Amino acid sequence: MRSLLDFIVKYSYVFLFILLESVSLALLFGSNERQRMAFMTSAGRFSGSILEWRSDVKSYFGLRKENEKLAYENAMLRSRLNTVLDNIEVESLFSRIEGDYAVARVIDNSVRKDDNYITINKGRADGIERGMGVFDSRGVIGVVMLPGKKYSIVLPVLNGRSSISCKISGSNSFGFLEWYGGNPYMAYIVDMPFHTDINPGDTVVTSGFSSAFPENIPVGIVESVEEEQLNYMLRLTVSLFADMSDIRWVYVNTHGQDPEPEELKEELQ
Amino acid sequence: MEPVSFLRRFGLMVGLVLLQVLILNRISLFGYATPMFYIWFIVRFESSMTRNAMLIWGFFIGIVIDMFTGTPGLNAACSTILALLQPKIVTLFLSKDRRDIVVPSRDTMGGGPLAGYLFLTTLVHHTFYFIFRSIPLGDWTVLMAKIVFSTLLTFLIMLAVGMSADRSDKRRSL
Repeated sequence: MRSLLDFIVKYSYVFLFILLESVSLALLFGSNERQRMAFMTSAGRFSGSILEWRSDVKSYFGLRKENEKLAYENAMLRSRLNTVLDNIEVESLFSRIEGDYAVARVIDNSVRKDDNYITINKGRADGIERGMGVFDSRGVIGVVMLPGKKYSIVLPVLNGRSSISCKISGSNSFGFLEWYGGNPYMAYIVDMPFHTDINPGDTVVTSGFSSAFPENIPVGIVESVEEEQLNYMLRLTVSLFADMSDIRWVYVNTHGQDPEPEELKEELQ
Repeated sequence: MEPVSFLRRFGLMVGLVLLQVLILNRISLFGYATPMFYIWFIVRFESSMTRNAMLIWGFFIGIVIDMFTGTPGLNAACSTILALLQPKIVTLFLSKDRRDIVVPSRDTMGGGPLAGYLFLTTLVHHTFYFIFRSIPLGDWTVLMAKIVFSTLLTFLIMLAVGMSADRSDKRRSL
């Protein structure tokens, strides 16, 4: 009995190792995507403030560039305003300014992993909900995946699980924007009907078919068009407008979040 | 040398975690190599620590890194394994008459053995790290490239720090 106790005391570290390793591996392989996300947001309460502090420091160094971007956006808005004023149709004017956007800061971001995520510093307390579209002055970024209380996790275009309904500007044929890893400036549009007339250089915008994004938010430019003989669909390579490695401020589309269509879709599936 | 106090060890851990998550995790050379210098914490465990203490500290720094990177259990699993193997790896690079070593460093081991020790600890940790991360294992060549490049990068940083850290070692225990 005594020697058994001695043995246990001497090799207690082996039992401790087995315990700690089991906990780690259970966390690593046992957790499904939802639990993993929950870990990220609960950890977010702790790590979020430190990551936000880093982003604070970084944003000081990026002020000049940020100013340039704002100036560019201003110029664009001004020219758009002129067009609106030129053909002043009251109805369309209202449909343009209608919309509600929350401004959020990106506090954590990655582009080089196979599955990237973005953390923003707005959450449920600011009216952010799952499924809201996220974009910046240049183009589409992603969709809110897991809103926490103060922070939210965004599923960006640069994630294998992202799929955003898009169309070619000025036409009605639409497909889905997807990404398969690798180059963070390129994504693909799949399931575009075969007969559609698309040329490199055409602009890709959001279709407005999902409630995440309003219509006509810029996405990117068509680089090349491939025909997939197998299923009579086109596959487009798209050069993204948004530079995903350099996003600091984003807009979250909080307007028109009518969950019903999405819920109906989920029920159908 | 007196044993490292709890507070000092905790301070070192906080410093290494911040360095890792605020700076090093942003580095991705050639898309493959990310330095994981935080294992310096485990590399410097002194032999007077109990095995249980090593395991708990090793697990702890891993799980804190995981909280920042959103990878529950990944770093914790690897750093716990390294904390288990660290005493064994140290003895591989020591001659029999120097088993009283307190902290592995150039002064206590000599430059050559220290380099070997740093390389092996890094290789062990990174191999487990990338295998765990890539399960289910897909492309072997990419996996090997990630292990090799990241090991080299972390090793070079640790070697540079290990070789230059000695002078201050005479005054401080860490």
